[in-house]
Amino acid sequence: MSTCPLVWSFVPRPRRSPGKADDGGSWFAPIPAYRLATFRVALAVTTLVFHVPKFNGLIEGYVSSTFHVPRALPWIPPLTRIEGAAFVVLQYVASAGLLLGLAPRVCAWFLAAVGFYVIALDPEHYAHNAQFHLTLLALIGCSNDRVPLLRLLRGEDSGDRCPAWPERLVRIQLSIVFFYAALDKIFSPYWGLSGALLASLAVADHGGWLAGLQRASQVVIHAFAGPMSVMTIAIEVFLAVAFLFRPLWPAGVVAGFVFVVYLEFLVRPGVFTWDTLASLIMLVPANDRSWTVIYDPECVSSRRKRTTLVRLDWLRRLQWVPTGDARGVETRPMTAGDDGLRLVNPRGRVYRGLEALRVLPVLLPGPVFVIMALARFGGGFLAARGYGPWDDLPFLMLGGLFVLWILTWQGYASSTAAVRRGP
Amino acid sequence: MDRGHSEVSEWRRYATAAFIVLWLGIQIVVPLLQKFELPTFRYRWARYSWAMFSRLGPRYEVTLFRTRGAGDPEPVPEIGRYVRGYRSPEPMSMTAAYWSEDEVHDRFSRLVTYLARERRDGYTYVASIHWIRYQRVDVPPRVEFRAKAAP
Repeated sequence: MSTCPLVWSFVPRPRRSPGKADDGGSWFAPIPAYRLATFRVALAVTTLVFHVPKFNGLIEGYVSSTFHVPRALPWIPPLTRIEGAAFVVLQYVASAGLLLGLAPRVCAWFLAAVGFYVIALDPEHYAHNAQFHLTLLALIGCSNDRVPLLRLLRGEDSGDRCPAWPERLVRIQLSIVFFYAALDKIFSPYWGLSGALLASLAVADHGGWLAGLQRASQVVIHAFAGPMSVMTIAIEVFLAVAFLFRPLWPAGVVAGFVFVVYLEFLVRPGVFTWDTLASLIMLVPANDRSWTVIYDPECVSSRRKRTTLVRLDWLRRLQWVPTGDARGVETRPMTAGDDGLRLVNPRGRVYRGLEALRVLPVLLPGPVFVIMALARFGGGFLAARGYGPWDDLPFLMLGGLFVLWILTWQGYASSTAAVRRGP
Repeated sequence: MDRGHSEVSEWRRYATAAFIVLWLGIQIVVPLLQKFELPTFRYRWARYSWAMFSRLGPRYEVTLFRTRGAGDPEPVPEIGRYVRGYRSPEPMSMTAAYWSEDEVHDRFSRLVTYLARERRDGYTYVASIHWIRYQRVDVPPRVEFRAKAAP
């Protein structure tokens, strides 16, 4: 038996579950709720680790100062010390509720309302990323997913459905944000074709080899400020269009991911990147069970991996098939190179070992997002207290994943060449 | 029973549709009107219009102090009680990331007036703003606001 890490199987595409992401119809059509629930959890994490601490800081600053400028909306009441203390506690309670899926709509609307109120108290409280986050929270407040975190972790399709319109609104909102960001850059006297603003943007400091990469990025920006400026506008316009048209979603996800990760690590970190990454979940398939995982029910390691992966499959993309099952998929007995399980994509291509490991983050974006966000903001917390450049931790994780892709791509290329050469 | 149920869901459907139209209308129209002021449709940078990274936030340094007659500048006592995080008399570097030069002037003018009214100690309270870069061309590089407290 060959131990080639890649095996191609020309098998029929696995039957899709009837509950696949079906939002091509009416705005009110019921669709699987897992995508919206995954988005809610992702947004709840950024709310807990970034938004709530920031807004609680603004509240504490406001109530402990006696001088205030006029409120943006004169009719809103000023914030008192007792109300401020209540908001500080309730914001944590609401974000925990959002995360766990306990009264998520009430929690999301409460967080959005308190946030807009705090912004309206003082113009200095405003930030675009805060407005974006609050807008997304309000849209989550519209969702009716009713999938608590515990059910999301169970991995089974319990038939949860919700109307399609909140998902659509999130995608349109994302498109609106990128469209206006591009429009502003086109008309802005600072941006335009000169790239003057891009070249003068202050970048955040990073440590280690990320600093080197950042310097290289700055050299390129300064050398090609005009073209980079135009390219930024073009990317934003493309993203605005891609988020609206389903055939462009895969390209939109890749371009959006690369763009905001570049902004986060090589320009200036901020919560905008993480909210955009969370929103990209709205563009990936859900509940299609189109990827097959073949596992060995007799093997302890294989069973353990299955237990873990089932809990991480929030979007219900994986279908589990034991070895020897006659469903037409690749069901040979496990070999050492399989490492306990094999992953088969909808076209029948088999991924094993490290190759399967590098594909999994694409299939499990929810848990991967949560881990990366915790690493980013937990690392930021440590870095701010002088424990070293821990805020670069998610970048190192992404770098590791990239290296894995490169390594397995070489394996793929060589095995494909071997297959082409023939025996 | 069924009819009643269908009437409710129809009503909810219309209400939801109205909400969607309202939401999208606000999200599309408000930033547009913020960016292009009527009736000239001339572009301007506006706060609530998703104008990320399209303006260089003016940088400035502000010094808060008090003085009596021709005396030396003195620190404003308990400045942190009036505005948490502010220092006196050391200069504070700031960026007007999302607000205009006029709003900065208005804030510090109100602050010194407030300090003078609260302190009532005969001192003159001063906010000295030094615009460093990226400010509007019509803004002078140094702007000072003074308010004399009643003795």
